[in-house]
This record gives sequence, C-alpha cells and structure tokens, in this order.
Amino acid sequence: MVTLAATAQHGHMMPMNGDSLAWRMPPMDVAMPMLPGLQGKVPAVAPFLAGEGMDAAMFPEARPREVVTPADGDTLDLAAQLVRRTIHGKTFVMYGYNGQYPGPLIKVGKGTTLVVRFRNNIEMPTTVHWHGLRLDNRFDGVPGITQAPVARGETFLYRVHFPDDGIYWYHPHVREDIQQDLGLYGNMLVDPPDPDYYSPVNREEVLILDDIAMDEHGLLPFGAEGPSNVLMGRFGNVMLVNGATDYRLDVRRGAVVRFFLTNVANARTFNVTFGGAPIKIVASDVSKYEREEWVRSVPIAPAERYVVEVRFDRPGTRAMTNAIQAINHFQGTFYPHVDTLGTIAVAEDEVAEDFGAAFETLRENADVERDIEAYRPYFDKAVDHELELTVRAKGLPMPIMLAMAVDTLFRPPMEWNDAMPMMNWLATSREVTWILRDTETGRDNMDIHWDFAQGDVVKLRIFNNPKTFHPMNHPIHIHGQRYLVLSMDGVPNRNLVWKDTAIVPVGSTMELLVDMSNPGDWMLHCHIAEHLHAGMMLSFHVAARGTGD
Amino acid sequence: MILISMPGLSLLLALMAPALHAAPPSGLCVVAEAPPEYYNIVLVPTRKVPGTRQAAGVATVSFAPSPFGIALTPDGRYVYDLAVAVEKLQPPKAGAYVVWVSTPDLDRVVRLGVLDAQGRTAGQVSFNKYLVFITLEPTDAPGDRWTGPVILRGISKSGFMHTMAGHGPFQQEPCANFGFN
Repeated sequence: MVTLAATAQHGHMMPMNGDSLAWRMPPMDVAMPMLPGLQGKVPAVAPFLAGEGMDAAMFPEARPREVVTPADGDTLDLAAQLVRRTIHGKTFVMYGYNGQYPGPLIKVGKGTTLVVRFRNNIEMPTTVHWHGLRLDNRFDGVPGITQAPVARGETFLYRVHFPDDGIYWYHPHVREDIQQDLGLYGNMLVDPPDPDYYSPVNREEVLILDDIAMDEHGLLPFGAEGPSNVLMGRFGNVMLVNGATDYRLDVRRGAVVRFFLTNVANARTFNVTFGGAPIKIVASDVSKYEREEWVRSVPIAPAERYVVEVRFDRPGTRAMTNAIQAINHFQGTFYPHVDTLGTIAVAEDEVAEDFGAAFETLRENADVERDIEAYRPYFDKAVDHELELTVRAKGLPMPIMLAMAVDTLFRPPMEWNDAMPMMNWLATSREVTWILRDTETGRDNMDIHWDFAQGDVVKLRIFNNPKTFHPMNHPIHIHGQRYLVLSMDGVPNRNLVWKDTAIVPVGSTMELLVDMSNPGDWMLHCHIAEHLHAGMMLSFHVAARGTGD
Repeated sequence: MILISMPGLSLLLALMAPALHAAPPSGLCVVAEAPPEYYNIVLVPTRKVPGTRQAAGVATVSFAPSPFGIALTPDGRYVYDLAVAVEKLQPPKAGAYVVWVSTPDLDRVVRLGVLDAQGRTAGQVSFNKYLVFITLEPTDAPGDRWTGPVILRGISKSGFMHTMAGHGPFQQEPCANFGFN
C-alpha cells in the first residue's frame, strides 16, 4: 500500500488553527513544486467532512461486508448510515450501507426481483442507483429524474429486477463525489441459470477497487456546496480493495480464481496485474465477450466491471498491483508507478481439483454471438447523435489559467495519476463546467433532449476533443440500457461485449450502438464523480413500445 | 526540477503575452498544423538524400486491438498500432526505405518494417515517448540498427512533453530536435 509518509507534503500544509474543518491540501510528491501564486489559496467552496464536530466513537465501527442471498420476491433492508473507520491508524467517520464496507454483496439468480426497503440515515439527501441493471425506470435512483432525493430519516422502496447475468453495483446518485467516496457502494452478483455459463474455477472473488485521499490528520475534506478537484477528479493516495488496505488471498498452487472486478473510485482508472500470473478476460459490464482472450493486465475505469480468470501456478507471494506510467508535468517525464492493492499467497500444496485444462481453453461464446447477431444490421447505419466532450473554465486563479494555457504540447490519452494536485484541488464546480455537447444542436448537458422509442437501435458517436482547456478521459455511462462499442478511432471492435460504461480517451472518437430496450427517462453521463457534478450529464427519453409515450 | 518563483511568474507573464499573439521567431519549434488525428505523427524530410526533399509522411496512431478499448502493457505503457504512409518519395536507386521507432535517447530501437511500393508499412510501438524515422538502408534485410541516412523523421505527441519551462513561451530548442521545420 502507499504509505502516507511516501506522499509527504513539503511545506504545503495549510494552517490548521485547531479547526479540523479547515481545508487541507492534497498530498503532493516532494518532487512536485507548487505553482507560484497559489500559496494560501483554497477551493471556493466550504470544506465538508462526514460527522464533523461529532465524536467518531459514537458511531458503530464498520464491519466487512456480508453476503446476502435473497430469493425472488424477498424484501431486503438497506440503510445508509454513518460509521467509524480506522485506516492507516487514523479513525474518522465514513458512510456505509448497513454498517458494512463495502455494502452487502447481494447474490441473486438471473430474473430475480427484490424489494429493497431503503432508509437514509446520513446527514444529507441520497438515493440508490442500481448501476448497470435494466430495471424499471422508477427505481433507477436519479434525483430529479426518477425520484425525489431521500431525505435524512426517510425511506424509499426500490423494486430491483435483475434481467442480466454478471456483476453490477449500487451507489448513490446524489453527491457521488462525497457519498460514494465515503463508502456507499456495494456489488450485486447475478448468477446465471446455466451451470456451464462460466468455466470451472477453484474459487470466485468479488473485488471492489477504490482509493481515498488522506493525510496525517485523516480524510481530506470534500467541497460542501459543490465538488473540489473538478479538473481531474479526486484521486486518492490510499488504495482500497473491498474497503480495506490489507486484501489477501490464500490459494493452493494451480488454483484458478475468477475475479469479479468493479472500480468505484471517483476518478482513478486502474491497470490491474496479478504478479505476472496469466489472465483471461471473460466478461465485462453486462455480458461475456464474444471470445475469451489472454490479457496481461486489466485497465478498468470508474464504474466499469471486468470478469477475469487467473491461474496461480507457482508457489510464493504475488502482489496484485495497479501499474501505471505516471506523468510529472513539471519535469515533462513519464515514470513508472506501482500501487500494491493486495497480496496473493500461493501455497506449495497443489489444488485439490485441477482446472488447468479448462483455463487453457479460450471459449467462444455462441450465446453472446447469437445475441449480438441481431444487431449487426445496424452496425453500418448512420450516426443518430454525436457528442463532443469538452470543458469550460472561468474564474480559476490566474496561475492555473496561465499554466494550462502554456501546458498544451501534449494531452495524454488517459490521466493515471493526479499530475497537478494543487491546480486540481482548487478547481471547483463553480469555475469549471464539464460538457457533453450535441454537435447537431449545439446544446449542452441537460439542455439536450433526445427521444427514442423502445426497440430503437441508436448509434452514438462520441468525440473527446483534445484541444480544450483541460481535456481528460471520460468513462461514459448510460443508465438502464446496454451498448456495444463498435469502434474506436475508426478501428472496428472485433470482440464485442455488452457494456454500460466505457472509456473515451482524449482525442479519441468512439461509436456506440445502444439497445434502447428499456422505456423511461434515463441518464448518460461521465462517471468521474466530480465531472458528473460539474455538469457532464444529459437525459433522454425512451417511449414504451406501442404507447408513443 | 523547475522551481518557479514569484519573479518567475512575472517572467512567465511577460513572456506569455507576446507569445500568445505573435508568430514565434524563425527557427523556433512550432507545433505543426494538426494532422487529421491528434496523436498522429507528421514525418518531415531531412533533405539529406537527393530525390527525397519533397517527401512527406504521416504515422497514424491508434490503440492496438484490445478488449478494453485502450491497449496497455502490464507496466502501463500504451500499445499503439502505427501505420506509416509516405508520399512523393522516389523509389530508391538501391536498397530499401526502412521505418524505425526508438526512444528519444535511442537506447531502444525497433525496426517497424520496410516501406512497400506504395510507401506504406505498419507495426506496433509501446514506448512512452518515441521517434519515428525512415532510413535508406543498403538492403531490406532485418537488422537491429539503421546504417543509412535518415530520410524523414518525426516524434510522438508525448515527446513534446518536456520541462514545464520547455512548454510554450520558453520553447527555445531548434525545431530539428523535434522533427519539424
């Protein structure tokens, strides 16, 4: 894990004045100089920490998640509440569903419908969004679109249907930058009815990847009226797997493990490796791939899910890592950076049941190919709507505006680290607006109005304009529907998978084919939490078949 | 490491105003007019070999096929497909035009391929910053290093990222260092 000492600040601390609600700067690498003129500046919003001013001891200590296996028609109680956490020796208040980190893992069979009786016990309004599920629109959990926010002390009944196999997750859709980062997230694992749906493995692991921003005083404050860190999103310096810093897996030699990975970080895209063990990619957000493939790492953007199988055939301890090429803008260099996410201890003893042969076989998934075949006639259709991803900034401190104006010779396709922590921290939703622009109408974000009918197959083209004030990669999420990534930069995708979230790198053009199968009012947005809350969202309407609604 | 002090900021401000409004002095490095795609690499002739002065080329950059959309090595470097296309390059009287990619300090070199009769070749690169250059080699036989003169050259977009002071108004390096006129 990254130690706090390793990211020590070098004289950048803000005065504390005994007030823990004072802004504190994000940790910066000691090699990273502060831009002149920024000393003493703080974000233009007030700082916020959960349970601030209250003794953390009065809240229950969060406990590791539990697995619940409700049957079709069951009612599940879910409460968002304040909890006490201790991470890296610092005790502070966070949030948790049912007092757990992450929230309960809900394991259900495909086709199940549950009633979730949700209660809000945190100090701000919230909702629950069931990410990736093609459920009834009324229960999608989007404030102002599908429901009113659930106020403190109130309840809301969600009817949650699971029409697709795979791994999904739930989280708030109110101030995700705060609520999700503080622990409100959990997985839903939908078991397929076919026992041969996946290859045989020795065990399954459901892992949620996250990061949080801490210093020696504890959690760094969030923006109260709107998010800080809006240029790049809030990168954390402490890595979490299932909400903890000490993930460890013990297996026997030769074990094949199926990992269900979900990235719930506000902004960070991980590049996950398993200590050099062979990795097979099996599935993503809403389906398996047409064909399994060998991969050497798993790049996973916020809100994406990947299902991979890994074989541990050599005894010893392997590190599960996030391995990236970070950027130092001041020195103009890339440098390798590795975060240890956890450890996998492989025993000398051989696994009882050897699934090595099945692991070595790359499956072709005829069921997925048949499903997609019905959409192939639409692959060459004209683009229905085109979005440009851009940004507008006004009123940022002058040194930031100047630095951004001159730092234009290279815009990286992806931001793997917070390469400009001070500038990012000072940028709030008051100064920065992230924009989805409909290139046909010129409308932006929630001024865009798209209307479809259930059964429509819609082609979207999304261009991430590199020549803007601060271009950045965006994981684009579409609620309540599924889509195929047809191409990237004109190169056709030869191994399709149904998605609900996909990365659009800087400078890239991505074409999506959206299966508008689910009527209602839905969102399309960037899943970097700070970008979402700085405007980067739109809604569209899908009329129910035969109703014209 | 560049430490910009407050006087440094004043200098930055002073230098920036004219830089934003006036054409840079001749001989300084200027970002070329944007190629069709942001990360594409313009290949510029060195004019060292007769018959190559009018040559022009581009290396089209796209992510290598990947189930993730972006393609990465296990240590996080991008894996790109490079498609090199050159125009107005007369066929060599002898030998072959060979395309290379290398790190900027030339410690790692990869032979991408031989230009075909249409002036094209393709391959992959996974360096953070890299040069693309075409040499005239005595033969089209495989080799680890080039031996002939450089005909065209360019640099990846990432190669423009050097020190903060090297950005924008402080840019002083001769363009030849970066493959531009």
